[in-house]
Amino acid sequence: MSLKSKLGRMKSHISLPETENTVPKEKKTTKDNFSAIPFLEKWTENLTSVYRLDGSHCLIRETSYPLDYQHGSYRFNDLLGIVDSWNNSPLEHPLSSAGHQAGDLFFFDTETTGLGGGTGNTIFLLGYAFFENDRVVVRQHILPEPGNEIPLYQSFLEKVNYETLVTYNGKAFDWPQLKTRHTLIKEHVPKLPDFGHFDLYHGSRRLWKNKLDKVKLAAVEKDILGVQRENDIPGYLAPIIYFDFVERKDPEILFGIMKHNEIDVLSLITLYIHLSRQVLQLDGYNRESLEIARWLKLLGNAEAARQTYEAAIQEGTETEQLTALHGLALQWKKDKQYNKAKEAWELVAAGGNERQRVEAWHELAKMHEHHFRDYEAALFATETLYVILNGRISLYGLTPEDLEKRSARLQKKKAKNAALSADDR
Amino acid sequence: MKLRKNLQELISELKTNEDFKDNIAHWHTIDAKPASVVPYPETMDKRLQEALKKRKIDGLYTHQATAFEAATKGKSLVAVTPTASGKTLCYNLPVIQSILENDKTRALYIFPTKALSYDQKSELHEMITEMEVNINSYTYDGDTPSNIRQKIRKAGHIVITNPDMLHSGILPHHTKWVSLFENLKYVIIDELHIYRGVFGSHTANVIRRLKRICHFYGSDPVFICTSATIANPKELAEELTEKSMVLVNNNGAPSGKKHFVFYNPPIVNKPLNIRRSAILEARRLAMEFLRNKIQTIVFARSRVRVEILLTYLQELVSKQLGPKSIRGYRGGYLPKQRREIEKGLREGSIYGVVSTNALELGVDIGQLQVCIMTGYPGSIASAWQQAGRAGRRHGEALIIMVGSSSALDQYIVQNPEYFFGKNPETARINPDNLVILVDHVKCAAYELPFKAGETFGKAEIADVLEFLTEERVLHENNGKWFWMNDAFPAHNISLRSASQENVVIIDLTNEPDVKVIGEMDRYSAMTLLHDEAIYLHQGVQFQVEELDWEEKKAYVREVNVDYYTDANLAVQLSVLEIDKQRNSDSHEAAFGDVSVRAMATIFKKIKFDTHDNIGSGPITLPEEELHTASAMLSLNPVKLGWDENRIEQGMIGAAQALNGMVPLYVMCDPHDIHVYPQVKAAHNEKPTIFIYDRYPGGVGLSEKVYENADLILRETRQMIERCQCETGCPSCVGTDSASDSAKRDAVQLLKLFGSEII
Repeated sequence: MSLKSKLGRMKSHISLPETENTVPKEKKTTKDNFSAIPFLEKWTENLTSVYRLDGSHCLIRETSYPLDYQHGSYRFNDLLGIVDSWNNSPLEHPLSSAGHQAGDLFFFDTETTGLGGGTGNTIFLLGYAFFENDRVVVRQHILPEPGNEIPLYQSFLEKVNYETLVTYNGKAFDWPQLKTRHTLIKEHVPKLPDFGHFDLYHGSRRLWKNKLDKVKLAAVEKDILGVQRENDIPGYLAPIIYFDFVERKDPEILFGIMKHNEIDVLSLITLYIHLSRQVLQLDGYNRESLEIARWLKLLGNAEAARQTYEAAIQEGTETEQLTALHGLALQWKKDKQYNKAKEAWELVAAGGNERQRVEAWHELAKMHEHHFRDYEAALFATETLYVILNGRISLYGLTPEDLEKRSARLQKKKAKNAALSADDR
Repeated sequence: MKLRKNLQELISELKTNEDFKDNIAHWHTIDAKPASVVPYPETMDKRLQEALKKRKIDGLYTHQATAFEAATKGKSLVAVTPTASGKTLCYNLPVIQSILENDKTRALYIFPTKALSYDQKSELHEMITEMEVNINSYTYDGDTPSNIRQKIRKAGHIVITNPDMLHSGILPHHTKWVSLFENLKYVIIDELHIYRGVFGSHTANVIRRLKRICHFYGSDPVFICTSATIANPKELAEELTEKSMVLVNNNGAPSGKKHFVFYNPPIVNKPLNIRRSAILEARRLAMEFLRNKIQTIVFARSRVRVEILLTYLQELVSKQLGPKSIRGYRGGYLPKQRREIEKGLREGSIYGVVSTNALELGVDIGQLQVCIMTGYPGSIASAWQQAGRAGRRHGEALIIMVGSSSALDQYIVQNPEYFFGKNPETARINPDNLVILVDHVKCAAYELPFKAGETFGKAEIADVLEFLTEERVLHENNGKWFWMNDAFPAHNISLRSASQENVVIIDLTNEPDVKVIGEMDRYSAMTLLHDEAIYLHQGVQFQVEELDWEEKKAYVREVNVDYYTDANLAVQLSVLEIDKQRNSDSHEAAFGDVSVRAMATIFKKIKFDTHDNIGSGPITLPEEELHTASAMLSLNPVKLGWDENRIEQGMIGAAQALNGMVPLYVMCDPHDIHVYPQVKAAHNEKPTIFIYDRYPGGVGLSEKVYENADLILRETRQMIERCQCETGCPSCVGTDSASDSAKRDAVQLLKLFGSEII
């Protein structure tokens, strides 16, 4: 029996994608890559040109916008002022573009045929926006079918400045995937250099994770940046649409994904402007200020953090005041201003949210034990924590076992103390 | 309080005590064997020699030296080594040597289970620490924390993993492992004999993918395999790796004195030749040893039996030794539970372990003195490995194999020369099984595009590529085939089970706190996790409240009942195509493709202790269809003068006996094959016995049966004739056949089916 008929029989045991269209694919005649590009007119109409290399090709689309174009809450030329502000600010920050000009930045995003980071997840679109001669240019490199990677990456590497990429989660996804796909053809294209990177995902998560269910770019656009998308094709359809395009060659359906990518990269400009304004506190005290302060503190910039916290205590709501106090208390503890820290935490322990209360009581327990050596108070804090935990096996990293251990240790210390003072008497 | 007895005393008691001595069918003593040692090879790095000397190793065992020389000359090898013969040095020495010579060198260790890799890592680590050199060895498996994964990829000299992780966690991400694949000098495959059947066939394809990726990065690693004793280690290693192999079998390790006892439980029903249950007998024996605090391991063949035995023993012994001193150990437990048990055994806080063959592999559990096997473990290689658990490092050890009533067990117990002679077991794999091959071609295409004319290992795959292109999984462009699907193919392919999706077992006892307590393959779930089934886990009984077949979830709740459940599977079979055939006057034998439809029908409730049937119920699960390979043995019309019913009864008996005997010759679990008799087969209208692979497409078992049909039929016939029962018993033709002449008839039919002249 032939292998092919066996394959047909075993089909039910082999997991295959469900296709509506069960007509077998027509066998392709050998194709000359220099022959006419299918639907070339449609491509040309959509501002796309053909990039040819050694008998293979990819497609490059280029479009542009005037600098005063408004995308969401900002105009593109607001970026120029932001880059100036960074250059004039003493603040050291991962998003700082100090030392660069607006024209250096490449706002970059990819579209792929699947999720996750496996080798076979193909990048079929590399898109980026950048500032050039008083325009914002969007350029997209498109893979006409799997196997045409060499012209795709060759053209991309020729044209982009990879030292100043601005992405959304590009550190964890787009760039590693680009490296992976590059590795497969590394003999045929220039080496992939080290890259510099502004990843806007982490900043967005930091500021808006409580506000948004999922801090995806689409959600940030809609709820934070005021970007309206019309007739947008959601990104998760990209793989199916691309496969359909590869089969039928008609780019009409792919244009939707290209438009989606175009808006993605443009939104990165708006997002960079907005995030920078928050970090630089150009809009004064607002809802994000406390998150910014925490971020600055994490980066080791205590002074900038302190200023923001103090602004919150002056201008914020009660909740924000407590949050600021909590942040300041940690700072005071570090600076050995224990009494100030204790007072602040006592307020937070009484009125904060659950997490703040747990952290404040925990800090109080530690301070009473190790600094004030007031074991009674430390025991009280520990027991309060136990009550807050209320049988849960873990809360913000704290477990009943931790508390039991602490409690036992405190009892021992207390007893020893009592014995010592009895001796004294 | 009476004094505790030591092992010596218990051994002599076993020989003399009325309760036991009559049941001893065979007592085999294996004398201690001295070591055969040679000096260190001159080429061996001085630092390595120093480290060995520090560990009081003054030379190498002969097989270690042979392995070292072959490996350092760039030859792939398979070392056949019994338990506790220092096999790890067969690969650790050449690997460390090559890293000492060149710091860039990388090695990949593949162990069949996580437990094993965990153990081997600590041994390797000790040695490296003693040498005070900078060699990084890391375990990379599902339990590896994500924060150290990147470090392992870049800087691990020795990466320890398992085939499953290699398949789904390493190969599909090879671009993140460039430094490993560019410099891969050695690939170690430990416990080679485990790679047989479905698992072996899958792993052979994973290795094809590994070699393909190595080729892409310009490396060509040497393979070092170690194996327990089987008939064809070299052939298996060569099929698995597609490399020519040097066979190293000059074992020079010493061993202590071992008593190997075949223990046959007494006959309780003479006419039916029914023996006392092996489980009950194993329990009785284990009690004797545990009561005297002699560390004992009890092996049972199935998860269910492990749990039954565990329940028994815990009840009986916990008062004397404490409830945690006896533990179960099997595949379905979560990693943390397993670690805990392994540790308890090493430290001596656990006296007894009841295990499935999970512990048969070389997990280091220290010194156990007694090993009891509840029934023959299914293969000679397995039996020796289980036996190796007792007396790994010190003097005398006792191994007791308690025979069950099954045909296979009785054959072994009554034919010790078969067991102690040359091992006839051949491990079979079929890397070109279409289902398996197609799965791995998909994974391989995901990893690197295929080029026109490229083969996949030795497999020609042009047709497969075309098929996958038609199915829109691959895309052809300019003589290359590219992955074109949004899925991650390795995730949907399990190397170990026949079905692609496992059933997850969810405990509802503490609602709303539900938790997952284990998983099971789909085929087993049909008969073990159906509604109302009693499922045992860590000795605790659960009743299945609902098996959600669509979602592949079984919801269970803790219960306390005095029975377990046993389910029946109904089978329908049709022939699709005959590939091979040979005819004679009386019979014909064929091999080809069949379609089998299986459905779980009813289950019985069986009482503990008495094993009485105390009730039954229906099972309502959809039919599962299987396309597979089958041997078909048919009978030409002869004048037997029997009516159809008599032929049927005789065939049922013959089939039952064959099912027991086939695993002896093709090295598989009795559950990996099915024997199915049809009085009038649809394809040729002749009485036919089908012996088919239970895995879609077959993994070579039934083909081997076809090749050796005459031998298997003759041995089966002799086994039945030698059985002491009158008209058939569970040990020969089974009790499913109702007629009194079934035993005689089965013998006669087996003669006719084979080439024997009556």
